[in-house]
Amino acid sequence: MHIDIDDIAKDFGTSTALLPVSLSIPSGALVALLGPSGSGKTTLLRILGGLEFPTSGRVLFNGQDATGMTVQERRAGFVFQSYALFRHMTVFDNIAYGLNARPRAQRPPKAEIARRVTKLLDLIQLPHIGGRYPSQLSGGQRQRVALARALAIEPRMLLLDEPFGALDAKVRKELRQGLRDIHDETGLTTIFVTHDQEEAMELADLVVVMSMGRIEQIGRPHDIREKPATEFVRDFVGV
Amino acid sequence: MSDFTVAQPRPLPARPTKFRRATEESPLTRVTLILLTVGGLALLVFAPLLVVFAEAMADGWATSVASLGNREAWSAIRLTLLITAMAVPMNAVFGIAAAWFITKFDFRGKAFLITLIDLPFSVSPVVAGLCLVLLFGANSMLGGWLVAHGYPIVFAVPGIVLATVFVTFPFVARELIPVMIEQGRTEEEAALTLGASGWRTFRTVTLPNIRWALLYGTLLCTARAMGEFGAVSVVSGKIRGQTATMPITIEMMYNEYLSVAAFSMAALLTALALITLTLKTVMELRLSDQLSATRRH
Amino acid sequence: MAMLSIVVLLPIGALLLQGAQFGLGNIWDTVNRERVWAALFLSFKLAFFAALFNLIFGVLLAWVLVRYRFPGKRLIDAAVDLPFALPTAVAGIALTALYAPNGVLGSLAAQIGWKIAYTQWGIFLALVFVGLPFVTRTVQPVVEEIETEVEEVSATLGASRFYTMRHVILPMLTPAALTGFALALARAVGEYGSVIFIAGNIPLKTEIAPLLIVIQLEEFNYDAAGAIGIAMLVISFAMLLSINLIQIFSRRRIGHV
Repeated sequence: MHIDIDDIAKDFGTSTALLPVSLSIPSGALVALLGPSGSGKTTLLRILGGLEFPTSGRVLFNGQDATGMTVQERRAGFVFQSYALFRHMTVFDNIAYGLNARPRAQRPPKAEIARRVTKLLDLIQLPHIGGRYPSQLSGGQRQRVALARALAIEPRMLLLDEPFGALDAKVRKELRQGLRDIHDETGLTTIFVTHDQEEAMELADLVVVMSMGRIEQIGRPHDIREKPATEFVRDFVGV
Repeated sequence: MSDFTVAQPRPLPARPTKFRRATEESPLTRVTLILLTVGGLALLVFAPLLVVFAEAMADGWATSVASLGNREAWSAIRLTLLITAMAVPMNAVFGIAAAWFITKFDFRGKAFLITLIDLPFSVSPVVAGLCLVLLFGANSMLGGWLVAHGYPIVFAVPGIVLATVFVTFPFVARELIPVMIEQGRTEEEAALTLGASGWRTFRTVTLPNIRWALLYGTLLCTARAMGEFGAVSVVSGKIRGQTATMPITIEMMYNEYLSVAAFSMAALLTALALITLTLKTVMELRLSDQLSATRRH
Repeated sequence: MAMLSIVVLLPIGALLLQGAQFGLGNIWDTVNRERVWAALFLSFKLAFFAALFNLIFGVLLAWVLVRYRFPGKRLIDAAVDLPFALPTAVAGIALTALYAPNGVLGSLAAQIGWKIAYTQWGIFLALVFVGLPFVTRTVQPVVEEIETEVEEVSATLGASRFYTMRHVILPMLTPAALTGFALALARAVGEYGSVIFIAGNIPLKTEIAPLLIVIQLEEFNYDAAGAIGIAMLVISFAMLLSINLIQIFSRRRIGHV
């Protein structure tokens, strides 16, 4: 699904989080929103997911206005930095949550849900942890479970907020490759937020550099490194 | 993998839905819940509060105040103040000692001790009173001996004090334990290694740290001590002018259909309860400031 | 610790000693009478229902007080503690004056044929009053600590708000709510002051167990009073123990992230 962001702006009371920004994301792209904290990248991600409502502007999914869609209708797989796993449910139930929450008429039968959860556990390469609780998992395992839970609803896009932010350097590298593999396998339009330029450059097809609620530059990693458009990008990317 | 093909977009809803945060209920649900809870509290809490004052004033201010002026009412007020003045300091001292002991030392049976401190909360006040009667009553061994030597406990002031202490036992300790656990031992250990004596450490390091929790616990303890009815009514013997506390006097007046007098005294206790609540709200703000301050370091 | 033993353990020991001297058989004979059974059954039944009401109302109240903003919220928050601060005898006569057939609200209820004071409804009302703060005050801090991201993630997975409430939020509140329920229950079972005024105290119908103890004591029948007291202790202890076990079980299962 391709996504168009059309002059989206966001104010929180008197402070401005996002100046009008526009951005077009082609279907199937892996995009990084890169910037320091307070640059508006998380706000933009949350607007796409339907967790915040823009002060002005439109969001288009496949060319159709999606600004007024509810969170539930958007079917955006969202992964939080804290993972926000349901700690009173097993890993299996966490992943099955989105399917079980569907209205009865659209809910797959139990066996089908079990089949899909098993498949997702294989995909994240943790086939044997279905019966555990989140408190019994390592940080990297939790992150992958959160990803599997988001994929279970057959999302139309994948939105990740600092997906590797809470992990140590070694695990971070492994999981980066994991996300790349899952993206390539599913072909989902994927947008992730990060403040780590190395991560953005290594992982993304397209990098959007943001600062102070503004988009500084949009481009492929190579272009951004070679031809930084502004002083800010030059400093931040650190050439 | 067929499971992860990109889904076809469904036709979008034409209505521009009013945005609602994912963490909010619909406005209708919210208004319903607020009305339900406020309404429930109005019937359960606010209405009785108003009734106390309305009934007290039924024959006007003057009658109400006059009813508090007679000898019986005065002796009840004096007795209640006396009992409170004796029971509260006892429990404050005990509460500090118990909280200190529980948080600063490791020993077996700690959980058991905490349960024991809480025990008075789960025992009916009437049963508590009953226990005291059985222990100190004139026909028990201990009670008999005490009465023979001129120290009656049951149906006398000491019994009422003991009953009040029993019932309000946990308040101070319960407030102090979490604060003292939060603070840990490091500050005190530092003071001790610097050569301060145990008492000095307590006075200059521990006490300032716990003062709001201590005040708060003492306040709850005071409110309960003044109002205790079940345990006191069992041990007091309800002798007019001697062992009748304010709540007991309210009961006696009410049963004699002296409505204005009963409600006037009730209004007095209610006013004290309202003052307690106000103080408590103020202290809670200070206490939460203090807790968040300790969390920061 | 000496004080703990003198003030708490010694009196309870005296009760148990009295019971031991009286003998298990005699205790059973005392309790096994229609009037005593009726009073014990009534006390525990109404305490249970009052605590159950407080469980539901208290969770709602905690949610409203933490999550919503409305005029007078501070006042409402402070009012929740009134049952802790108000002497029970005062609460008793106030509720009676209000809900008696000639009272302001009692007369309204009487018009639809609903008698509140001097019936079991009156006892229920008084027990709800005294147990009101427990659930609210134990659940409130837990609601404050819920990470909103958990609710947001539930919505992004397609769950309706109601489904999120039912399957995500309620399970998180359950352990604290159960603690509050247990406290409210223990308080309601032993409550005396606020109940005796509104109950009417008709044997077999509206006579609670603590009142029966008082009556026995006034007749200097210490053995019978002790027997009923022990029966109450044993039943409360069993109830609280089972609630604690449920809690330990659920805490162990969930753990902490």
